[in-house]
Amino acid sequence: MTKGKKLSYLLNLLGVLLVFGIFVLLFETKAFGASTQYIKGICTTACYTIIMVASLNLVVGCMGEFSLGHAGFVSVGAYASAIVSNLLTGKGLPDIGLFLAALTAGGLAAGLAGLAVGIPALRLKGDYLAIVTVAFAEIIRVCFCNFEITGGGKTMSGILKLSDFYWCFWIMVICVTVMYMYIRSRFGRTVKAIREDYIAAAASGINVTYYKVLTFTVSAFFAGVGGGIYAHYMTAMIPTNFNFMYSAELLSEVIIGGIGSLTGSILGAAFLSSLPEMMRQFSQFRMLAYSVVLVLVMIFRPGGIFGEWEFSLTRLLARLRGRYHGKTGKGGE
Amino acid sequence: MRKRFLSAALAAAMAASLLTGCGSSAQQQAAGSTAEPAAESAAKPAAGEPAADSDKTIRIGVVCSMTGGSAIYGEGAQNAVTMAAEEINAGDSEYKVEIVNGGKVADDASDSKQAINAYNSLMKESPDAILGCFFSSVTLPIAEQAAKDNMLLLATGATNKDVTLKGPGIFRDCFIDPYQGKMAAQFAKEKGWSKAAVIYAKDDDYSNGLKDAFIENAEANGIEVVYTGECTTKDTDFSSQTSQVVAKGADFLFYPCFLDTVPLLVSAARDAGFEGAIMGGDGWDGADTSGFEDKFENCYFTNHYSSEDTAPAVANFVSKYTEKYGAESLNACAALYYDGVYMIAEAAKNGGGADSASLIKGMTGMEFTGVGGTFTLDENGDPEKSVAINTFEDGTVKWLMTLSPSGDKK
Amino acid sequence: MTLSLFIQSLINGLNQGAIYALIALGYTMVYGIIRMINFAHGDFIMIGSYTLFYTIPLMVNAGMPAWLSVIFAIVICSAVGVLVETIAYKPVRKAGSMSALITAMAMSLFLENLAMVLFGAKPHNVQKIFSLPSVTLLGVALPLNVLLTIAIGVAMMLGLQLFIKKTKMGKAMRAVPQDRDASILAGINVNRVITVTFAIGSALAAVAALMYCAKYPRVTNDMGSMMGIKAFIAAVLGGIGIIPGAMLGGILVGLIEIFVKLFAPGWYEAITYATLILILLVKPSGILGKNVGEKV
Repeated sequence: MTKGKKLSYLLNLLGVLLVFGIFVLLFETKAFGASTQYIKGICTTACYTIIMVASLNLVVGCMGEFSLGHAGFVSVGAYASAIVSNLLTGKGLPDIGLFLAALTAGGLAAGLAGLAVGIPALRLKGDYLAIVTVAFAEIIRVCFCNFEITGGGKTMSGILKLSDFYWCFWIMVICVTVMYMYIRSRFGRTVKAIREDYIAAAASGINVTYYKVLTFTVSAFFAGVGGGIYAHYMTAMIPTNFNFMYSAELLSEVIIGGIGSLTGSILGAAFLSSLPEMMRQFSQFRMLAYSVVLVLVMIFRPGGIFGEWEFSLTRLLARLRGRYHGKTGKGGE
Repeated sequence: MRKRFLSAALAAAMAASLLTGCGSSAQQQAAGSTAEPAAESAAKPAAGEPAADSDKTIRIGVVCSMTGGSAIYGEGAQNAVTMAAEEINAGDSEYKVEIVNGGKVADDASDSKQAINAYNSLMKESPDAILGCFFSSVTLPIAEQAAKDNMLLLATGATNKDVTLKGPGIFRDCFIDPYQGKMAAQFAKEKGWSKAAVIYAKDDDYSNGLKDAFIENAEANGIEVVYTGECTTKDTDFSSQTSQVVAKGADFLFYPCFLDTVPLLVSAARDAGFEGAIMGGDGWDGADTSGFEDKFENCYFTNHYSSEDTAPAVANFVSKYTEKYGAESLNACAALYYDGVYMIAEAAKNGGGADSASLIKGMTGMEFTGVGGTFTLDENGDPEKSVAINTFEDGTVKWLMTLSPSGDKK
Repeated sequence: MTLSLFIQSLINGLNQGAIYALIALGYTMVYGIIRMINFAHGDFIMIGSYTLFYTIPLMVNAGMPAWLSVIFAIVICSAVGVLVETIAYKPVRKAGSMSALITAMAMSLFLENLAMVLFGAKPHNVQKIFSLPSVTLLGVALPLNVLLTIAIGVAMMLGLQLFIKKTKMGKAMRAVPQDRDASILAGINVNRVITVTFAIGSALAAVAALMYCAKYPRVTNDMGSMMGIKAFIAAVLGGIGIIPGAMLGGILVGLIEIFVKLFAPGWYEAITYATLILILLVKPSGILGKNVGEKV
C-alpha cells in the first residue's frame, strides 16, 4: 500500500514535471512567436485563478456550502502581500524570497479574515450563508476603499512585478497538492461527513463548528495566496476589482468545473479564465458570447463538467497498460 | 462509464479549444503578415502602400472598454480612432497609420485582468505604439508592462499622476488629476462663490484626485469647503448627500464623476432645493441632458475642448464626427483618442522613424495642437494645456471661457 | 442635525426604500415558490426600463398618459421572464440550487450584454412619467411620488397575498415548494406553476421599473446588477420568500442607507451589510421568518 502510494506520488510528480517541461519548451523556443508574452500572461492568470477556484471548491464542494464572497479573501491576500512586499523591498532579499514572504503574509492575513468571518457566519447555512459571505466581502471592499494604506479608494500602484509564470506554476502545484491532501486527510473526510449528514456527524461526536471553520480558514488562506500572485502580476489594483462580480466569476468556475472535483476546478478555472480571450474576435459581442457559453454548459452539464470525478494519473496509466500498450497519458494532478 | 467517457470527451474538447484558441491566433498572426497588404488595401484604400515602405507605417494598438459598465467610452474611442487613421492616411503626411488588430480597439472591459491580456494580445502584432486606456486603474498595470517592453504608451484618460512616472516612454494627452480641480477652484473664485460642497465617488481614481486638488486649491483661493460627501460610481441615489449640501448652505457644488450619474445628481440636487452652481470635470462631457434642460442651468464643467470652439481642429473633429457617427458617443474620450492618434503620427515626424524608440524620442517634450488645444508635454510626459469651461444652455453645451495653465482667461 | 433635515432624510429613505421594496417583492415571490435566487431579476427591471424609455414617447405622442407604457413593460418583461425560465432555468432545475444560481448569474450577464448590443452603451434619460406636485410638510418638501410608490407597493403586496392564499393557482404555488412530488400526485402541473410564477415575478419587475424610472430617470445596460444585490439583501432581511417581509426589508434597507449617508457616506454600504449580518446572526431566518427546527 505504502509502496503503491509512493509510486503514485512519484508518477504524479513526473506528470507535473512533464507538463512544466512542455510549457518551458514551448515558451523558451518561442513556439508561439510574437504571442508568447500573450499566452504566458493567460497562463499566469490561469495559475492564480486555479488556486482561488480550488480553494473555493474546498468550501463549495467539500463542505457543501455557498460562498459568494471569495473575492473578499482574495483582496485581503492581495493587499496584505502588496503591503508586505513594499515593506521588504530593498532589504536585500532575493526576489523569490520576497515573493514567497509576501504570499505567505497574504495567505495568513486572508486566513485570519476567514477565521473572523467563519466563526459568526458558519452558524448559517444555504442561501443565508451565501448572502452573509457577500456582505462580508463587500464590507472588506468598503474598508479597503477607506483605508489610507491601501490607497484609500484610489489605485494602489507600484507593486513589484514578481509573478513570473514559472514560479506561479510551482506555487500553484504546491497549493493544489496541499489542498488535495487536505481533502483526502482526516479533516477533509470529516468535513465531507458533515456535508452528507450534519446531524449524524454531530451525533457521532464530531465538533461540527470546528471543522467547518477550519476548512473555511484553509480555503481563505489559499484564496489569499492566489490574491498575492494577482497583486504581484497586476502591479496595481483598486478595491472595485474585487467586487461581487469577481466572486460570482470564481463560483461559476467552480461549478462549471464540477463541484467537489479538483480536476474540475483546475480545468474549469483554466478554461473560463481564458474564454474571454478566445472571444476577442467578437469585439463588443465578446461578453455576450461568454455568457452564452456559460449558459450552454450549465444546460448540457448542469452538475459541472466533471461532477465529482477526479483525474488520476496512476489509474490512467494502469488502464493504459491494461489496454493499449505503448501509449502515453497526459499529466496533471 | 458512459458519463466518464463524456467527461473525458468534454475535457478533451476544452483542452483542444484552449490550444486552438491560442494556436489559431498564432496562425492568424503568421498568416496575417503575409496576407496583410491585400486585406489592408481592401479595408483602407489609403493604407495600401505599407508593404512597400513599412518603416513609414506606424502600427498603433488601441485599448479601451468596449464591454462592461463603461462601454460608452469604447464606442467613442473606436469611431475616433478609425476617423483619425483615415484622415491621416488620406492626407499627404509622410507617415501612415495602421491600427493593428484589424482596425479594432482591444477591449479591457474596464477590468485590470483583461486589460493586461488586451495589451499582450496587441503586443503579439508587434505594434509601434499603444494608445489607451481611459481609466487609471486599468492603465497602471499596462504602464508597468509597457515600461518593461520599452513600448510607447500614450494614455488617454488615465489621470492618476503615477501613470507617466512608470517609465520614459509613457505619456498622456489628458489633464492630470490635480489640474482640473485647481481650475475648478480658480473658476469658483472668479465667480465669487465662497461656500463649496464636494460630492465625489470614493471608489474611483479620477474622482478622488479631482476632489483632493479642488479642496487643496479651494482653501488657497479663500473658498470654504463646507461639506464633503462620498458616493460610489454605481450610486443612483444622491438625495441624502444633496440635502446635506443644502443644509450646510453651500453655493457651489463640485461633482467630479463620470457622465452616467451626472443627470441623476443634478436632478437630485435641484429637487433638494439647491440653487447654486454645480460643476464637474471632463467626465461630464457627453452627459445626457434631455428632460433636465432646466435643471442643467447654472451647471459648468471643465473640458479639453468646447464643441463650440471655432479653432479648425475642433470644428473639423466635431462636425465630421457628428456627421459620421452622430452625437451619441461624442465625448471627451473620443476627442482624446482622436488626438492620441495624431500625436503619435506627429511624434513619428519629430523622431524621424516609425519604430517605438523614435516615437518615444519624438514625443518627449513635444508641442502639439489638436482638439485639446495647444500644449507641450512636460518632463514626465504630462501635457500642460488650457481648460475650456463649458456651461449648459437649454440642455446644450455652451462655451464660456478658456483658462490657460498660467491662469489667463480668454 | 436639524429637525427638517431629519424629516427630509426620513422621506428620502422611505422613497428609496419603497423602490427597493418593489424590486424585492418580485424577487422574493420567485424565491418563495421555486427556492431559486434569481439574480437576473434586476435585469428584468432593466428590460422594463428600456421598454418604458422607448414606449413613453409613443404614448405621449398618442396623447395618453406616460405611465400607461407600463402595460408594454409588463407584457415584455413577462415574456422575457417566461422565455428565460423555459430556455435556461428549466433544464438545470433538477441539478440543484448551485447550478441554478450560476445559470441565473450567467443569464444576468447575458441580458446585460444583450442590452448593450441592442440599445448601445450610452445611458439615456427617461421622460418624465408623473408630474405630481410635492406637498410642503413641516417645512420639508414631500414629493407625492413617495406616497404613490408606497401605495403601489402595498397594493401589490396585498394583491399577491390574496392571490397566493385564495386562488387555486396560488394554492398550487404554495404546494409546490412544500412537496414537489406530492403536488404532482395531486394533479398540479408543476412546470406551469413555475412558468406562471416567473410571469408574475417579471410583471412585478416591470411595475418596479416604472417607479424606479420615475425616481431615477436614467437607463443603462448595467443598472440591474446592483439592484439584484440590493433586492437580495432586502428580501433576506425581511425573511426570504415571505412577501410582507420583502416590503419591510426594502424599506429598512432604504432608511438605513440614507441615514448612514448623513454621517458617514463613504461607509454606507458597509453599514447596510453589517446590519444584515447582525440581524441574520440574531435571527437567521430574517425579521419575519419562522425559525424551522432541524428534522432528524
